[in-house]
Amino acid sequence: MIIPHFTLNDFLPVMPVGVLMAAAIVLMLSEVFLTSTTRTYQAIIAALASIVAGGIAVNNAFEPARLVLQGYAVLDPFSSWTTAMVCLGTFLAVLLSAGFLKHRNAERGEFYALMLFAAAGMSLLSLSAEFITLFINLEVLSVATYALTAFLRRGPRPSEAGFKYFILGAFAAALLLYGAALIYGATGATKLVEVSAALPAAFAKSPALVYAGLGLVLAGFAFKVAAVPFHMWTPDVYEGAPTPVTALMSAGVKAAAFVAMVRTFLFLVKGIDPVIPFTVFSLLALLTMVGGNLLALPQRNVKRMLAYSSIAHAGYMLLGVAALFAPKLVEAGAKVGVLTATPLTGTAQDVSVAVYKGLLFYILGYTVTSLGAFGTISALERREDETRGNTWDLERFAGLAQRKPGWAAAMALFMLSLGGVPPTVGFLGKLFLFSAAVDAGLLGLAIVGVLSSVIGVYFYLRVVVYMFMRPAPIDAPAPFRHWTTELALVTSAVLVVGLGILPGTITEWFSRVGMVFGH
Amino acid sequence: MESPLTPYLPMAVVLLLAGVMAIAIPLIAGLLGPKSMTTAKSEAFEGGNAPMGSARQRFAVKFYVVAILFIVFDVEAVFLYPWAVNFRALGWFGYGTMAVFASTLVVALAYVWKKGALDWES
Repeated sequence: MIIPHFTLNDFLPVMPVGVLMAAAIVLMLSEVFLTSTTRTYQAIIAALASIVAGGIAVNNAFEPARLVLQGYAVLDPFSSWTTAMVCLGTFLAVLLSAGFLKHRNAERGEFYALMLFAAAGMSLLSLSAEFITLFINLEVLSVATYALTAFLRRGPRPSEAGFKYFILGAFAAALLLYGAALIYGATGATKLVEVSAALPAAFAKSPALVYAGLGLVLAGFAFKVAAVPFHMWTPDVYEGAPTPVTALMSAGVKAAAFVAMVRTFLFLVKGIDPVIPFTVFSLLALLTMVGGNLLALPQRNVKRMLAYSSIAHAGYMLLGVAALFAPKLVEAGAKVGVLTATPLTGTAQDVSVAVYKGLLFYILGYTVTSLGAFGTISALERREDETRGNTWDLERFAGLAQRKPGWAAAMALFMLSLGGVPPTVGFLGKLFLFSAAVDAGLLGLAIVGVLSSVIGVYFYLRVVVYMFMRPAPIDAPAPFRHWTTELALVTSAVLVVGLGILPGTITEWFSRVGMVFGH
Repeated sequence: MESPLTPYLPMAVVLLLAGVMAIAIPLIAGLLGPKSMTTAKSEAFEGGNAPMGSARQRFAVKFYVVAILFIVFDVEAVFLYPWAVNFRALGWFGYGTMAVFASTLVVALAYVWKKGALDWES
C-alpha cells in the first residue's frame, strides 16, 4: 500500500478553505451553545474569516503554478485570485445579511455557516483538477446555496425558489457527472492531466463517446453559470432567494463555476478540432449576451431585471472564454489543453494573458457591483410588501433621490457600472474583455457584445430615471439602517469607483504569465 | 468486432427477453382474459382488512430528521471499516485523517443534540 506523502506545500491552496470551514463550525456551535439575544457578533466572525481567508488566497496568488495533493488540485494564480474574489463577495454578502436578517428577526448562526460553507465550496471548485473532486466541491457549494435560497421559509416564493433550484441543480449536477463518467469510459482517467494525455487516442477510437461526454460536462457548467439556453431557473431563483444570498449567487457561484469551466475545458479539448470548442463557446456567448439583455428589457421588477442582467454578464464572460479558444491563438502555437512547461511566446502570449486579465478583472468588477446593487435593493425592501408582490417594483425607487440622496447616488453608481459607463469598474472590465477578444480575432462577437450592452444601458438607466426624476409615492419605504449594511455598500461603492479609476496594480497582478496551470 | 462489451452479450439477450415478456404477457392477458368486474374485485385489497383512511397521510417531521441523522452517522461507519482493516498499514497518517473526520462528526453530533433534534417528545 502506498501512503501518500504530503508536505505543508500541498495544503497551501486549501488553507483559505480551512479558515472558512473552521469559522463555519464555530458559528454553528455558537448558535446552540451561546444564547445571546444580539447576534451581530456572528456576522462579524464570518466577515473576519472571509478577510483572513481572502488574505491567504492573495498571498497564494504569487506562488508559481503547480499541481498539488497528488494531482487532485492545482495551485495557480487563476484559482487563488478566484478564491480571493469569492472571499471578498462573501465578506460583503455577510455584512449585507446582518442588517437584512435583523430586520426580519431571522438572524441565525446557521445562515452565516451556510454562507461560509458555500464560499468554501466555491474556492475548492476553482482549484479542482480531478472529476470526482470537482463534482463533490460543486455539491458542497450547491447544497449550501439550496438551503440558503429557502432560508426564509415564510411565503410561497422562497419555497418555490428553493425547490426549483434544488431539482434543476441536481439534474445539472447529474448531467456533469454523467459526462465525466463517459469521459472516464473513453480515457480511463479522472485526473484532468491524465485525461488530457489520453484524450487524443480516445478521440481517434470513439469520437461519439468523447463528444457526448464533453457536451454533458458543458451542459452541467452552463447551468451553474446561467448561460442561455440553460438559464430558465435564474430569474425565479434569484427573485425568491433572500437578497444577500442572491448577491452571493450572482457573484461568487458564477465566478467559481466559470473558473472551473475554463480549467476543465482547457484540459479537455486536446485532440479535438479546435474549431469545435471555439464555435460552441462563441454560440453560447452570443445567445447569452443577446438573450440576457433582451429578456431584462421588459422587466419592471428591479430584482428580476438584475437576475436577467446577471445572465447578460455571464454572456460577456463567455465571450472571454471563447477568446481563449480562438483559432488565432490556437494556430499561433497555443497548445490548448496541453501541459507545457514553456508558455506561449510572442503575440499569442500577450493575447492569452490579456484574455485572462480581462476575465478576472470582469469577475472582480461584477462581484463588487452586483453585491452593491443587490445590497441597495435588500436595504429598501420591506417584509410587509412581500405579500403584495410589488416589493421590487420600479415605483418603489421613485423619488429616492429626494428622500435619501446618498442611497440613490450609490444605486445610480452601481447601475452605471453594470451598464459599463466610465469611470466605473464595469466600464474598465468591458474595455479589457472586449479589447482582448478583438485581439484574439473575435471582432464580430465583440461588436455584438458592445451593441447588446447598449440595450443594457436602457434598463439600467431607467432605474436611475425613476430615482431622480419621478416624484416619490406617499408610502415609499425608507431604507432600514444597520451599520453593517452601510459598511458593505460604502465598500462596494469605493471599490467600484476606485478600481474604475486606478486599476493599476490589480491589472498588473492579473496579467502575469503562467496564470493558469498547464496553459 | 471484438469490443470490451462482448462478454456482456448474454446480458443484453436477457434484457431484451425481459422487455419482450414484460410487454407481451399483460398484452395477451388483456386481449384473451375474460372480464367480469365485481365490487369486491374493484377494492384496493381483495384480502385482509378493509382499507381505512387515506394513503396520503402526513408523517411527523421527526421521523425524517432521525432518518437523515442516521444516514449521516452511518456513513461514518462505512468509512471507519476500511480504515480499521488497514489500521497498521495506514499508520499515523491514517489515524490523523480519521481523527479529523471523526471529530467533525462529533461536532455535528453536539450541534444536533443541543439543537434538540434528538428529543423525541418535544
